[in-house]
Amino acid sequence: MRKKTFTAAVLVAAATLTLSACGNGDDTASPVTVVSDGSGAHKAATVLDQPFTKPDLALTDTHGKTYDLRKETKGHPTLVYFGYTHCPDICPTTMSNIAVAKKSLPQAEQNDLRVVFVTTDPGRDTPAELGKWLKGIDPRFIGLTGDFAKIKAGARSLGISVEPTTKDKNGKLVSVHGTQVVAFSPRTDAGYVLYGEDTTVDDYTKDLPKLVRGAKP
Amino acid sequence: MKRRTAVLTAGALTGAVALTGCSASGAGPQRAELSVSASYMPQPVSADMAAGFLTITNKGGAGDELTSVSSDVAGQVTMHSTTGGAMTEKSSFAIPAHGRLVFRSGGNHLMFEGLKRAPKQGQKVTLRLGFAASGPLTVEMPVRATTYNPSTGH
Repeated sequence: MRKKTFTAAVLVAAATLTLSACGNGDDTASPVTVVSDGSGAHKAATVLDQPFTKPDLALTDTHGKTYDLRKETKGHPTLVYFGYTHCPDICPTTMSNIAVAKKSLPQAEQNDLRVVFVTTDPGRDTPAELGKWLKGIDPRFIGLTGDFAKIKAGARSLGISVEPTTKDKNGKLVSVHGTQVVAFSPRTDAGYVLYGEDTTVDDYTKDLPKLVRGAKP
Repeated sequence: MKRRTAVLTAGALTGAVALTGCSASGAGPQRAELSVSASYMPQPVSADMAAGFLTITNKGGAGDELTSVSSDVAGQVTMHSTTGGAMTEKSSFAIPAHGRLVFRSGGNHLMFEGLKRAPKQGQKVTLRLGFAASGPLTVEMPVRATTYNPSTGH
């Protein structure tokens, strides 16, 4: 589903390039109108026909304590994302978008919501590092770190593929983040909605009131 | 002052290109004509690193390459492409003739490391872009909200 949308976006982009190239010599063909056409049909949420079971994941939180995902988030609306703090672009944007959108919820629902950031780079993301980073986004967000094999298995059970941190040819550490946020229902504890990395604050603001009730966005 | 003159010259040349380029003869100018737009840095959540985005448009008839980026706020600025959640550092990016090189969230991005200060929303950071063929360009990049989305403008 997600992939299909992305392909469409690429096609639109390709069409735009064609228009803006010098081929037809028609200066009135404005590529800008083509680009704005796509955004109207944009829908951030992908509701799953077959929801995911919440991963059985016990890791270490930012206070250095064991955090059992199933136990701690049972009955709570929960958003889970896999990323890392040495990530300049998508990881902070994704978490900040959720943090800003969350503020539009009534206080009781804000308290009910669990937002869980699971690091894909446990070597660098110690509990303290994770805590420092999340504090700059939303101090109530939960950060988890621990054994990479466990993290990878948890991600895989949600259809998210992550790889261990490696060194590139310059000796720099390169990590991988997930490309989706998974929303779990407070009623069924199942992961029933996915959000891609192009999801905006407005998308989350619109959908969170439904997600906290376990409704379909 | 020196820099402004260079930019004006580039602008004048671009105008000339518009008159002669894409004509029936098909003889475009054989050099790149670069300009930068849509630049911004999302305010970073920590003082460790930041991302930057911009679009380089080439109105000229020859391609060029972005080969280096430096900034007053960072010890190092590197260029990355992103595929499926993994980013790859690149030493250069092609800018096709009559085309664009786009750095946007989720795709290609600039990575600022070794920050000398934590850039805050409302400030500007200065970038210097180096190219294989064209002269360097200086960009004043505004720092936007962490959640800034260029398609909605907020």
